[in-house]
Amino acid sequence: MSSKIKKLVDEARESENPELDLVDKGIVNILEIPGFASLSNLSKLVLAHNKITSVPPSIANFLNLETIILFNNQIEELPTTLSSMPKLKILNVGMNRLNSLPRGFGACPVLEVLDVTYNNLSENSLPANFFCLDTLRALYLGDNDFEHLPPEIGRLKNLQILVLRDNDLVAVPKELGELNRLRELHIQGNRLTVLPPELGSLDLVGSKQVFKAGSNHWVAPITEQFQIGVSHVFDYIRSDTYKFLYGRHISAGAAPPPKTSDKSKKVSRSQKK
Amino acid sequence: MTTAGRRRQQQLFSLQPLDAKTQSPLFQRRRLAQEEDMGHSPQVLTLNGHGDGGGVSLGGGGGASANMSLGRAVCARCGEGFSMDEQIVNSNGQLFHTQCFVCAQCFQPFPEGRFFEFEGRKYCEHDFCVLFAPSCAKCGEFISGRVIKAMNASWHPECFRCFSCGKVLADEGFVKNQGRALCRDCNAAEKAKGLGKYVCFKCHSIIDGGHLKWKGEAFHPYHFNCHSCGVELKEDAREKDGELYCLRCHDKMGIPICGACRRPIEDRVIHAMGKTWHVEHFVCAKCEKPFLGTRHYEKKGLAYCEIHYHQLFGNICFVCNNIINGDVFSAFNKAWCTKCFACSICDRKMNQKTKFFEFDQKPVCKNCYDKFPSELKKRLKKAYDEAVKSGKAA
Repeated sequence: MSSKIKKLVDEARESENPELDLVDKGIVNILEIPGFASLSNLSKLVLAHNKITSVPPSIANFLNLETIILFNNQIEELPTTLSSMPKLKILNVGMNRLNSLPRGFGACPVLEVLDVTYNNLSENSLPANFFCLDTLRALYLGDNDFEHLPPEIGRLKNLQILVLRDNDLVAVPKELGELNRLRELHIQGNRLTVLPPELGSLDLVGSKQVFKAGSNHWVAPITEQFQIGVSHVFDYIRSDTYKFLYGRHISAGAAPPPKTSDKSKKVSRSQKK
Repeated sequence: MTTAGRRRQQQLFSLQPLDAKTQSPLFQRRRLAQEEDMGHSPQVLTLNGHGDGGGVSLGGGGGASANMSLGRAVCARCGEGFSMDEQIVNSNGQLFHTQCFVCAQCFQPFPEGRFFEFEGRKYCEHDFCVLFAPSCAKCGEFISGRVIKAMNASWHPECFRCFSCGKVLADEGFVKNQGRALCRDCNAAEKAKGLGKYVCFKCHSIIDGGHLKWKGEAFHPYHFNCHSCGVELKEDAREKDGELYCLRCHDKMGIPICGACRRPIEDRVIHAMGKTWHVEHFVCAKCEKPFLGTRHYEKKGLAYCEIHYHQLFGNICFVCNNIINGDVFSAFNKAWCTKCFACSICDRKMNQKTKFFEFDQKPVCKNCYDKFPSELKKRLKKAYDEAVKSGKAA
């Protein structure tokens, strides 16, 4: 196995646009990849489906890295050095065991796509500067543990895709309505009951847009509109009738629906045995 | 019978005290006519028929007529001689048959003997006035006596009044204001009131609402009717080939109409998308910036700039975020360039034939999907089945 990896590393070193593809190679420790440190020009690193438990801080020495894919590993923590990588555009650490993102992560200068699907993240595990990532165009937070999305989400002006599928959200902030470039919003599988009327400013009903909102606890009038069609939902939340209803609903302060999904079977929960 | 000379006092024109130097040709004409009239008092003579050598003494105030031999006298008009016992009219030494002493215009005797002579012809008062006297621009009547010449017209002194307050202006002078004569006070008031407003060129009153510009002047729109349909015009009327039209008719006459603002295009016309546009109105449907001659991209009847066309219609690669030149892979409302189209997890390249799964609207190859935890696959399958069900229901 090791010799096969070495061959792939050697190939990558000799290519002009070095990309290292080590998918499903049973790798546990990145630093044990033979000859890895010599790949200084590496632009893409694909280590999906391995058994990696941590990412070494020295990863930031690969100044040309633009894409890092670590999907389906066993990573519990990312190094703070990630935010100093000058060219990092795509970071996929989906299906790991992250309980937090590193301090200062929001300083990543050019990050465009962040995929942390299927981890154990919540609003409490984001670094303070997370919403400084205004170069982000896609943010994948599906299958995590968010109950509240911070209102600072409105600062991610370039966001086109936001996935919050299968979290524990009891509400979404009205600041979502400020994301005027948003064309994909996935909020299905949460504990939502109402939508802020401010979301009426979003354009999510066209043929090139995606709005997924099923499997929530919508109040009856919204459910009815969903049955007619997504465009009716947006027409409805723009109406004065709805604004009144929403105001009353918020001031009533009803308890959020209970957690129903059992997340204990998620592999991200598994601890090293 | 004695000669009965009659002289009627002429009611002469008392013209304003203008003199021979006055420029007006009409005045001069009248002045001359008046001077001639002064001396003309017709006399009616009756020949007594006593021999042809007998002098006839002409009576009357004129009294200066020389003796003449009636036997050789002829009528100044028809040139025929006179018969005995015939009444003869003597007017300043000219003799006429009574039937010849008539108005040169209407051939009727002069009422009460009054006539006016002009260029050797005699006219009754009526015809003289019709032919030569000025008429008042206000009341249309002839003016005898003092004539006010002002504003390119003649006026009775009592007819020439301030347009606004009606005060007689003959002696105090006036100010010309927008084609109207005003007294000084009214002019000052009008000036203050109409500051910044248009004054109608036709009725000379201030235009409070919108005005209509035509041939360089402002008008109340309601003075005009549409040349085509006849409707009373409003301020949005438009001119074409010297005629005024209501907007509706104007728009129907083949003038290019901007596809955006629906108003006629008078300057440069942009032809695009089967329509015509104002240069500044042919804009990207997304960012609304005018193309100003730069390339535009069409999609479903709308035009877009390059950036927004690609952004909206998926021709920006989801991975490298560059505009895709060449083949495009499209899936899940996204696009990929051939170089970037790969499994979103293992980055294995895919092509048209590769089967893949959808995960958060991203492509996942079968290999990677199979590696998903079974609880996730179960949830994804459930969501997929629900979507299919509701899709069918709807």
